[in-house]
Amino acid sequence: MPDMRFAPPNPIRIADRAAGLNAVSVRSYNERLVLSMLLQHGSTTRFEIGEKTGLSAQTVSVIVRSLEQEGLVTRGEAQRGRMGPPTIPMGLNPEGAYSLGISIGFRTTEVVLIDFVGNVIDSATLRHESPGDNHVHPDLQPTVEHVLSKLTKARRRRVAGIGLALPEAFDDSAELAAFKTWVEADLGLEVFVQNDVTAAANGESLFGAARELDNYLLFYIGAKVHSRLVLNHQIHRSGISTAHDFGLLHFERALGANGVSTQDLWRLSQGSPNYAKALQVWRADCVAFLAGKIREARQFVDVNTVVLSTYAPRDLCQDLCDALMVQEEGLTALVGALQHAPKAIGAASLPYASRFTVGP
Amino acid sequence: MTRARTVLCFGDSNTHGQIPGRGPLDRFGRDERWPGVMAAALGPRWYVIEEGLSGRTTVRDDPIEGKHKNGRRYLTPCLQSHAPIDVVILMLGTNDLKRRYFQTAPEVAMGIGCLIYDIKELSPGPGGHVPEILVVAPPPMLDDLHEWAGVFEGAPETSRKLALEFEIQADSKEVHFFDAASVCACDPADGFHLSAEAHRNLGLALAAEVTSMGWPAE
Repeated sequence: MPDMRFAPPNPIRIADRAAGLNAVSVRSYNERLVLSMLLQHGSTTRFEIGEKTGLSAQTVSVIVRSLEQEGLVTRGEAQRGRMGPPTIPMGLNPEGAYSLGISIGFRTTEVVLIDFVGNVIDSATLRHESPGDNHVHPDLQPTVEHVLSKLTKARRRRVAGIGLALPEAFDDSAELAAFKTWVEADLGLEVFVQNDVTAAANGESLFGAARELDNYLLFYIGAKVHSRLVLNHQIHRSGISTAHDFGLLHFERALGANGVSTQDLWRLSQGSPNYAKALQVWRADCVAFLAGKIREARQFVDVNTVVLSTYAPRDLCQDLCDALMVQEEGLTALVGALQHAPKAIGAASLPYASRFTVGP
Repeated sequence: MTRARTVLCFGDSNTHGQIPGRGPLDRFGRDERWPGVMAAALGPRWYVIEEGLSGRTTVRDDPIEGKHKNGRRYLTPCLQSHAPIDVVILMLGTNDLKRRYFQTAPEVAMGIGCLIYDIKELSPGPGGHVPEILVVAPPPMLDDLHEWAGVFEGAPETSRKLALEFEIQADSKEVHFFDAASVCACDPADGFHLSAEAHRNLGLALAAEVTSMGWPAE
């Protein structure tokens, strides 16, 4: 019987490093803990990682080196302090992983490809022939293939998965099941499904305005308004119907532009004589509604920040934020950072959250 | 007054500071050797101890130069003499590649593993804890070893495999690792010793490694 203390070590961790991403099963809780920190804080040092995770310095050293060799983490330029030796910041390698997100909406299906820090590499919009629920666009499969083809072969191996954001009203369909089977069998990628507004909140938490926030309220202003409460990074969603009719559909009606797609709406409405008036009416209604919801939430939990996520123009959203901050004392209202297709980017954040972070 | 933190540098002639291409009595100055460079970078709150012996192996008695070259025989009394120690840096392995020992890279790495085991068993850190252990893989030897070519026959090739094997040992035993080849190379004057510039780069890099281990604020 050999003395196991001095037996040759099992080189699993290192042997697996070179090619692509390690299999899910190999990634330890501690590795995900370190990646969570990096996803949340951007750049950090080994010292800070140890301090915040409570892991020993030697354990952090082993994990960081392994993530570095796997290409998920890079070393920054050494920072020279006033005294003592330089410290070396660590950050996520933007090219370390990629993810594809799909959100199926009422009028369009959005497809986005993002890198490991949330930059959009490529995107596509598929218009539905007629507005409605439960659309699986006939061109979805070739579009996904086309978007993925923007990656080189080596990068294609670093795709973490495909996130699918579906609206509340979406019922499982044979088309959707066939699509998922195709992704898993033909593309060899895992599919991560989530409610679309929850996905948008996940995206804001991971890459957006809520990156540094433990607690916040998220309002998604689409055709209707949806809300999510995020406490200690966990996204909560009410069991009762959460769609409220103070969204952009309301604005469209005020404009008398029923049935016009929102993309066209911004273009058409600028010159319209009743635009300013319609905007004013809608804004007042929407702000009053949001303020009411915020007050209700603040009676129970201590949230001082709201994030407004929308595909509507940024200045319009900033307007709403300003109005809310005037009305509600001690409140910070932020425009969501995910501008183009927040739900789809949120969908793309799902594989990262699932594979590289620890649950709250 | 708070206690200065202690780093023990346990190595061979490249920790001793032997000048490339010269005899074992020719040694770089205290400020030029990597432990000295590291001490200057770390500042007065750190106490750096040099323990570099020419010809030192990880765990092997030298049938020619003597048993005292065996790093394992001396490590324990050395640690105990200098305890409490916050950081132990191990930079060994080159001498294990001498033809007389006939060792593969994984076996040299297992020698490092034994030393890690001994340090953990003794636990010479503050309060009887395990100190931070930093394994440094020596830079690969050059192909032209001049008059040392016979002693080190076949060694340059094996030396290029040490870093990976050392890192596997460091990972499996959960200790720090640094590949010296990332900041310096051996000097062509003899093919396996470090120049003053290499000492300087290594000392600065190891100082950064030591500080990034994470130390509670005082």
